Amino acid sequence: MGTLEYLMQGFATALQWHNLLFAFFGVLIGTAVGVLPGIGPMSGIALLMPITASITSGLPAEAAATSSIILLAGVYYGAMYGGSTTSILLNTPGESSSVVTTLDGHQMAKNGRAGVALAICAIGSFAAGLVALTGLILLANPLAGIALKFGPAEYTSLMLLGLLAVSGLGGKSITKALMMTVFGLLLATIGIDAVSGVTRFTYDMPVLYSGLEFLTIAVGLFAVGEVFKAILERESNDGEIAKINRILPTKQDLKDSSLPIARGSVLGFFIGVLPGAGATLASFFSYIMEKKLSKNPKKFGNGAIEGVAAPESANNAAAGGAIIPLLTLGIPGSGSTAILMSAFIMFNITPGPLLFEEHPDVAWGLIASMFVGNAILLILNLPMVKVFAKVVETPAKYLIPLIIGFSFFGVYAVQFSVFDLGLLIACGVAGYFLSKNDFPIAPLVLGLVLGPMIENNLRRALTISNGDVMIFIQKPLSLTFIIIGILWIITPLFLKLRGKKLILNEEG
Amino acid sequence: MSKTFDRYTGLLFLAIGAMFVVESFKLSQSAYGSEIGPNIFPMSLGIALILLSIRLVYETFRYTDAKKNSVKLDYKRFGIILIAAILYAALLETLGYVITTFLFLLIGFQTMQRGKVWVSVIIAGCFSIGVYYLFVVLLQGSLPPFPSWMSFS
Repeated sequence: MGTLEYLMQGFATALQWHNLLFAFFGVLIGTAVGVLPGIGPMSGIALLMPITASITSGLPAEAAATSSIILLAGVYYGAMYGGSTTSILLNTPGESSSVVTTLDGHQMAKNGRAGVALAICAIGSFAAGLVALTGLILLANPLAGIALKFGPAEYTSLMLLGLLAVSGLGGKSITKALMMTVFGLLLATIGIDAVSGVTRFTYDMPVLYSGLEFLTIAVGLFAVGEVFKAILERESNDGEIAKINRILPTKQDLKDSSLPIARGSVLGFFIGVLPGAGATLASFFSYIMEKKLSKNPKKFGNGAIEGVAAPESANNAAAGGAIIPLLTLGIPGSGSTAILMSAFIMFNITPGPLLFEEHPDVAWGLIASMFVGNAILLILNLPMVKVFAKVVETPAKYLIPLIIGFSFFGVYAVQFSVFDLGLLIACGVAGYFLSKNDFPIAPLVLGLVLGPMIENNLRRALTISNGDVMIFIQKPLSLTFIIIGILWIITPLFLKLRGKKLILNEEG
Repeated sequence: MSKTFDRYTGLLFLAIGAMFVVESFKLSQSAYGSEIGPNIFPMSLGIALILLSIRLVYETFRYTDAKKNSVKLDYKRFGIILIAAILYAALLETLGYVITTFLFLLIGFQTMQRGKVWVSVIIAGCFSIGVYYLFVVLLQGSLPPFPSWMSFS
């Protein structure tokens, strides 16, 4: 069957009424998650995983996985959009990827054009979703085909490259980022070793036999950590919320923003495909690019519509692009895709080159649903802009304890263990102090997910070579990955030495 | 960025790395048909963590402390909620989901801001009973029920 046929089949899956419903709720919840302070896309997805698992429990295994993943992916890009709503209305970005949007978006709101800015975001997101979708369709099969030829050595190096890339861009200090990566990998070794069956670092505690649960750690570090931050630092949204008058953009607005949207989408997509470089970086780059290309750059910062259109399309396209390495290679390139990957694994589906052969329904259903989801996002958001603006006003005093309540529920409903609740609280405290002191958390989470895969492939590769480490350098592809990975770490250091300012990709 | 925090965290991770290395020696050195045992990966990672921690501690002597933007931290509020969360976790299985969740939320709401007790009671009640009903009754999931000495279950 050709790609197009598969895609059509994917659409047939995505357009089943229950999957439409899942996409709808995913997008809706995602937008709310993006708008609310204190929960980002990562904690949103992590919190919803147990709930989707139980909702879909009545369906056959593969259909359940497809529906759940459609919902979770909806949350993912819905949150990307929701984050920009607060940037525009309140001047406080909901996610780090919408920081740039505040520059011009809030200025537009001050000029009484908040509605137009929000509408342009929605249109830009939709266009970006289309570009990402086209890219996915074109790249998915060829990439999966290449990946099938990889041996364990190539896989190990590729995953190392991913980890190095995320660490290199992950925070202010590369040392700290690398420490978090290594620590994540180490935590992943706790439990029964899959290759030899030996228990490692369990000290005869049965709760540790299956290892530390990824979901617990992710929810703890991200969601609970954020909440503790809000409690300690008394954060609140008491800024003034801009009024929304006119929503539909004028013809001139559309004309001004169409090219920036196109450029932002393409640029964002390619940045998204790269490991480590995610939505934040994409939005920064596209803003800078638009400013350079513009005839009168002075407009930027004073409410230029291009300054909203380009970065918003870029961060959504990047979010779509980031799914490509996950689906085709089975390697997540960011914290949020790492969590999406754990959702796949929860349903016993391993993302990677074989995904398209073994579970074409899941893979193509997801791809098609991204298109459907983006359409829903557009239809949903234009009329509901005012409702979401209201969500921003949810008082923190109720929100914060409720997020803790949800985290407890989410963890306990899957794990049924008090040990995990304790771990959740501990991770929350650790998450707060670590991220406050510039220890990035995304690399840790990524290390935790990739740990078992890296170890298995590493040991397989070393077993083939009889313990000779040179196997990673002798295979040309593997060598290339390692060189790129090292460059990724060294280049920022080198630039720093020369006193250049760097753009960081912090994910929250 | 706090120098002291970085230094002590560096030392802490150094200890963690060392612990993993030492403990790896107790693991078997080989697996069937392979010289590469389950000890190799954690041991080399432990060594990497030790080296990185040393580098971090060394770095703390190099940079000057960034100026602190003095945000006054609300430790009292945090402490109450943290202790409430620990009790919530500890008592969840004995007292059941609805009771512990209700109490935790009530304490949480009132700690965040005193007053309007009735609103807090209603929201906490709706959440705890609503989640329990939705998840256990409608979705057939499982959460700790009411304690058996209570007549309704």
